[in-house]
Amino acid sequence: MGRVYGEPIEVLTKEDGDPVSFAWRGRRYTVISVQEYWIVNRDWWREPAPFPERPELRFWRVEASAGQGQPAGSYELRRDMAAGAWMLRGIAD
Amino acid sequence: MPAPAQFTHLHVASSYSLRYGTATPAALAVRAADLGMPALALTDRDGLYGAFKHVQACADAGIKPLLGADLALLSPGGATPRTPRVSRRAGQSGAAGQYGPAGRVTLLAAGQRGWASLCRLVSAAHDASVSATGTATGTVRAADDDVPAVTLELIAEHASGLVVLLGPASDVGQAVAARRPDLARRALDRWRYLVPGVAVEIVDHLDHKSTFRAARLAELARDTRVPAVLTNAVRYLDPVGSMAAQVLDAARHLVPLGSPRLVPHNGRAFLASQEDMAATAARVAAAMTGPGTASAAIGLLAETEEVARRCALDPALDLGVGTRHLPETKGTAYDQYKELRDRCEHAILHGRYRTAGAASRPRGVSRLRAAQTARDRLEHELDIIARTGMAAYFLTVADVADRIREAGIRCAIRGSGAGSFVNHLLGISAIDPLEHDLLMERFLSPIRGTLPDIDLDVESARRLDAYRIIFDAYGAERTACVCMMETYRARSAIRDVAAAMSLPPDEIGAIAKAFPHIRAKHITAALTELPELRRSRLNGAQLEAVFGIAQQLDGLPRHVAMHPCGVLLSDRTLLDRTAVQRSAEGFPLSQLDKDDAEIAGVIKLDVLGVRMQSAMAHALTEINRATGNPIDIDAIPRDDEATYAMIQRSETIGCFQIESPGQRELVKKLAPRDVADLIVDISLFRPGPVNSDMIGPFLRARHGLAEPRYPHEKLVEALRETGGVVVFHEQVLRIIDVMTGCGLAEADLVRRHLSAEGGPERTAPWFHAQALARDFDPVTVERVWQVVAAFGGFGFCKAHAAAFAIPVYQSAWLRRHHPAAFYAGVLTHDPGMYPKRVIIADARLSGVELFPVDINASSADWTVVLPEDATPAGSPRATSLAAAGPVPDGSVSGRTRLGRSPANHSLARWFLESTGPLQALRFTGRKPSAPGVSPQAIRCPLREVKGISEAEIARIVAGQPYTSLRDFWNRARVSRPVAERLVLIGAFDSLYASGPTASPCASGSAASPYSPAAHRSPESPNLRVPPSSPEAPPHPPVRSPASASWLSSESSVSSVSPEPVWLSAPVPADISGVPAPLEVRQLPVSPPTLESSLSSVSPEAPRPSVLPPSSESSLSPVSPAPLWLSPPAPADISGVLASPEAPQPPMSPPASEPSLSLISSEQLALGSRTPSLSRPSRRDLLARVGVLARQSPTTRLGPPPALDLFAGAGAEAADGMADLVPAGQLRDLDLSERVEAELEILGFEVSQHVLNFYAELIAGLSVVRSAELADRENGETILVAGVKVATQTPAVRSGQRIIFASLDDAIGLVDLAFFESVQDRCAARLFGSWLLLVRGRVRRAGAGPMAVTVNGYECWDLPALDEIRVAGGMAAVRTAMAAGDVGPGAHQTLQDQPSATTYAADETAGADEPARTVIFANGFVLSPYAETGAPGGNLKTPPRTLWHASPGSTAS
Repeated sequence: MGRVYGEPIEVLTKEDGDPVSFAWRGRRYTVISVQEYWIVNRDWWREPAPFPERPELRFWRVEASAGQGQPAGSYELRRDMAAGAWMLRGIAD
Repeated sequence: MPAPAQFTHLHVASSYSLRYGTATPAALAVRAADLGMPALALTDRDGLYGAFKHVQACADAGIKPLLGADLALLSPGGATPRTPRVSRRAGQSGAAGQYGPAGRVTLLAAGQRGWASLCRLVSAAHDASVSATGTATGTVRAADDDVPAVTLELIAEHASGLVVLLGPASDVGQAVAARRPDLARRALDRWRYLVPGVAVEIVDHLDHKSTFRAARLAELARDTRVPAVLTNAVRYLDPVGSMAAQVLDAARHLVPLGSPRLVPHNGRAFLASQEDMAATAARVAAAMTGPGTASAAIGLLAETEEVARRCALDPALDLGVGTRHLPETKGTAYDQYKELRDRCEHAILHGRYRTAGAASRPRGVSRLRAAQTARDRLEHELDIIARTGMAAYFLTVADVADRIREAGIRCAIRGSGAGSFVNHLLGISAIDPLEHDLLMERFLSPIRGTLPDIDLDVESARRLDAYRIIFDAYGAERTACVCMMETYRARSAIRDVAAAMSLPPDEIGAIAKAFPHIRAKHITAALTELPELRRSRLNGAQLEAVFGIAQQLDGLPRHVAMHPCGVLLSDRTLLDRTAVQRSAEGFPLSQLDKDDAEIAGVIKLDVLGVRMQSAMAHALTEINRATGNPIDIDAIPRDDEATYAMIQRSETIGCFQIESPGQRELVKKLAPRDVADLIVDISLFRPGPVNSDMIGPFLRARHGLAEPRYPHEKLVEALRETGGVVVFHEQVLRIIDVMTGCGLAEADLVRRHLSAEGGPERTAPWFHAQALARDFDPVTVERVWQVVAAFGGFGFCKAHAAAFAIPVYQSAWLRRHHPAAFYAGVLTHDPGMYPKRVIIADARLSGVELFPVDINASSADWTVVLPEDATPAGSPRATSLAAAGPVPDGSVSGRTRLGRSPANHSLARWFLESTGPLQALRFTGRKPSAPGVSPQAIRCPLREVKGISEAEIARIVAGQPYTSLRDFWNRARVSRPVAERLVLIGAFDSLYASGPTASPCASGSAASPYSPAAHRSPESPNLRVPPSSPEAPPHPPVRSPASASWLSSESSVSSVSPEPVWLSAPVPADISGVPAPLEVRQLPVSPPTLESSLSSVSPEAPRPSVLPPSSESSLSPVSPAPLWLSPPAPADISGVLASPEAPQPPMSPPASEPSLSLISSEQLALGSRTPSLSRPSRRDLLARVGVLARQSPTTRLGPPPALDLFAGAGAEAADGMADLVPAGQLRDLDLSERVEAELEILGFEVSQHVLNFYAELIAGLSVVRSAELADRENGETILVAGVKVATQTPAVRSGQRIIFASLDDAIGLVDLAFFESVQDRCAARLFGSWLLLVRGRVRRAGAGPMAVTVNGYECWDLPALDEIRVAGGMAAVRTAMAAGDVGPGAHQTLQDQPSATTYAADETAGADEPARTVIFANGFVLSPYAETGAPGGNLKTPPRTLWHASPGSTAS
């Protein structure tokens, strides 16, 4: 991964949870394809109890672009399933 | 995406994958069925422990079972592709190995052939891992930590009927993950070449890169035309299970969560639905490239179902479920039956059954009729055996029992097998069922599907010998031990979870130990419900996380162990039907547990190790050794009146089954007169009869206080023996039979139904219909039904009770007629519920003396002292023993008997002084020994010495006798700490007893001052000094002021001193040389030697605590160096002397007279006549051990030095060593030091009871002694004190948790009960302290002195109170007691302590009900914490500090 951000973002998803588009730094990016999708438990044991039932972090590496004519890039999005919050993990070059 | 009709999970780990899976086989099967799946595989890791549970669960859920295993894989040269994770492990294993870890493979069994292959392969994997890790190359380690592992070649050897699934964890999958398709293909080719049934296993858990890798693996399968199946590598039921699984990974690898060694988790390894799996197939297919991807998903699922179909097992055909596999060693079934019949008829013909004898026949039955009855019964049983085809089983068990007995091992039957006459005729059972009216049907019936159990009790110490006999006789191909799973409970779960979450180890231990032994799932509830936990600080939020996860581990297997008694006996196909591993003890251990064995149709023989059998065997050996007359305990008459008289007096401590407080109460009320009564007694003392309140009506009927009541006249016969009360299973069978006419065999089935959940409801209509049809009136039917239903599964099998009654009687008989041998056996094998101190006290009260450890007289185990051994030259004990002569039965008063010997002298004196005439009450009726039998004594064994090894014991015993310490040191070659401990407990005293102060015992008990009289206070009128006692000189006037001023003196200074006490005490005129003792200490002594003797005490071993405390705490304030090194500076002494308050040692020895007499008689004399003194003190000997250790610093475990100039007897005097530590140089241990050393080293006291040291406090508080309890009024509030010897929380009727405790107060036991309403303030102290003072109310359950219990409501730590007394006198003690809790750690709870006065009303039971209770069908309410032991340590080990740190020792 090239640059790492870790910034909260707004994401629109399909019914199955895959991202359709996301807004970051004032621009809306459209997901062209999902290149990778994986899931990891977060370090729930470092957190105060009670633990979430699903301490899942879901990751999508997507090809997306900020609009027609804009170059497509590879973006890594993360969703904390317990909190529902999205984050832009980074941009792959 | 096409939804497939079906999907079968082929790779599933249950909780029987130890520390890996979290779902039970039953839960998995139910879920699979709910998901509409047709079948389910179980492929546990490393073993087949869950196999038959899975088969059963699938049968219950209506799906087909598949079985397999997930095994670690080794391959030549280690992991083929060095993926990061595996190569790290491979690196650890070193370069020398041929094989390295290469991941894991999953194997599935197809058909009977496949199952046999799987069993053999798993056995081989366990075998290989054991042998391989032991080899010099030592490199065969699997990818996990030390688990059984296979190689490709090993699998190839057992490939018949197996399907090998090569998944992501296999060598193939790892090569793919390492992006080495070339290596992956080569590895796959190797598999295909060697193993016929190979498939690629596709798993996608959505880990990082896992979809990508799954696609590559699928492409490889497609390109090589190897079938590919889809699995979900399941290890939990739902995604939420992943956290527990993650903790188990950490626990398995012994690393904290977050360690890089652990694989990431994401909750995907659950039992996914068919739709989920179809989606996974589609996802993987979509990631594939190349030809055929369009149909890849469908192909994957279809291939999976094809393998599932091929590997689905038929339990009956493939696994042998429902058939029986008996040893085939006796020929055909016909041969077997014929042999069985021949042997039984032969036994009848020769009258080899008990009812053939006149004494055992029911009254009024002629010999001929008895013989006819026997023949009829035999025909009846043979008929049943023929119909069940079990003849081989009986012959096998008879053969096993014969072989065990031939080896000289005691062997008795237990359980329902005693109901079989055939068992009696074959000699398996000593019980004649005709004598006690026992039923065969309870044991074996043709209509019951289950296999019978014959249980044999053997000597616990020789249980493994018995196993070896069985294995030798039947061969390892037919025999294996039964395994059992140790599961996570509260403590173990907390430990593992807390460790995974990186809590500090000492905290983990403290937290875990705070919990009683309860189930993990009750942790949270226990925190709020158990008073001792409620008051702890474990409720904090930071621990909530630990407890939350720990509860999820509840009941998961965590360790495979050998079942304590089960042995499988089968035909030679056993190893095709179960995997076998090696137990820690070296036995073949089947992976079937006892329930599995039943399902698998393998006969199980329970061979239980019973400590009482060992104890009796030891007693019989000792009787033979002492008298030369062997006793056949199995042949003694069973009607000995003296024995029953003893039982009726409830003098049964140490006896089998009837020694508990409750049983002693029951035998007192029941007054057993014969074996039949013992059978009833054993059966009544069970939760069932107790909770149904059967005991009251039974006793009333038995003692003729009430007419027996029978529900119907037709039931009189069944119920007559128990006065109309239902006690036995056999009676239930008869009642059901009489009421319904169903026959006894079916009645037994009905009885079994009744104990099942919902059984009574299901059975009621049938029972009513049948009974009404037989013309019983509805009221009677309903009444009988109520009895039968309530009785349910609670009652007791009479055959079992009968089997138990024999050892009960035998042990009682031994106790009555050979008490010394009996106690030697009981103390050696520890069969009962009481710690040794209780048995020892009981032995003394029964007139058996206790001799201390003696280096020349002690054996490895407790022994009976032979008359010749009891008379070492010059020992005063010898004279006393010899003088005592025969003890007339029953005519000896406690006083004279106890006063007989020095060993009992202290105890006796104390009785006399503290309890006065009361002791007579306790001892009247005690009949210590049979008429004409000389006084009995037992000798403490070497094995009781802390830290002594078996090798040391063997060397010591082999080398006896020893002529000197040096001789012992050179030949016995024990470690230095052990030698020191032997010295400290006086094991060498007799060796050095030739001097004028010959007997150490005499000096300890006769000359030393433990007399409570010294502390006599006005509040204790009970204390009186026998006028004749020479040790009770006039009370020195100094004393009282001294104790009064105790508060103001520095404790460190105060504890000092013998010197000040002695100097300031009125010096008797005859002690002329006051400075003499000081001079003694100035004798020229080489400092290094003494230093070593001092240091020898502490560094190597738990320090005896005897010497260091006294030397450090008491001496250092006065003079920096031990007194004997530097002459006491006059200034120091005078400083102390200047103080008007002579500090008074708080405890007894401290007592003035003792030190006075000790000094005057020994040390003063020594001081003036040192050269003539020949007897070294224990401290002298300790110093000599130090010298010896310095002289021969070579390893003590090696062979003796080839040349030892000093070796041998007599050398000691010549070598000059003795001059370095001359005898009499160092003050001997005083009594408190001796007792403390004994407690520390032996765990019990020999010299005198530890409670004696609190005599003053006890007297000051007017504590009631156990012997006095009988005189106390019901409801009276009293104080009792003693050593806590037992705590129990058994099932009781009210559903409360009641804590029962017993205190040993030196003259007997005080039985206490603490109800829930008081546990809040008492439980922590009760569980945490060793010496207790308890306030409670006398509760008298019935007539007789034994039936007294004290309902405790306050308790205190006795040593803590005594410290207060020492500091502030009795007034301070009373204030402290009124304030509440006193004892270590009491400060934190003083605030919320209800005071004694607020208590009054709530003592009565039931004040607060526990939040949760278990309610049985018959209304019996049980506390969930019933039967859970107390948190805290082992009762048998006294705590380090027995009393306050400064016992006032008279340090010299």
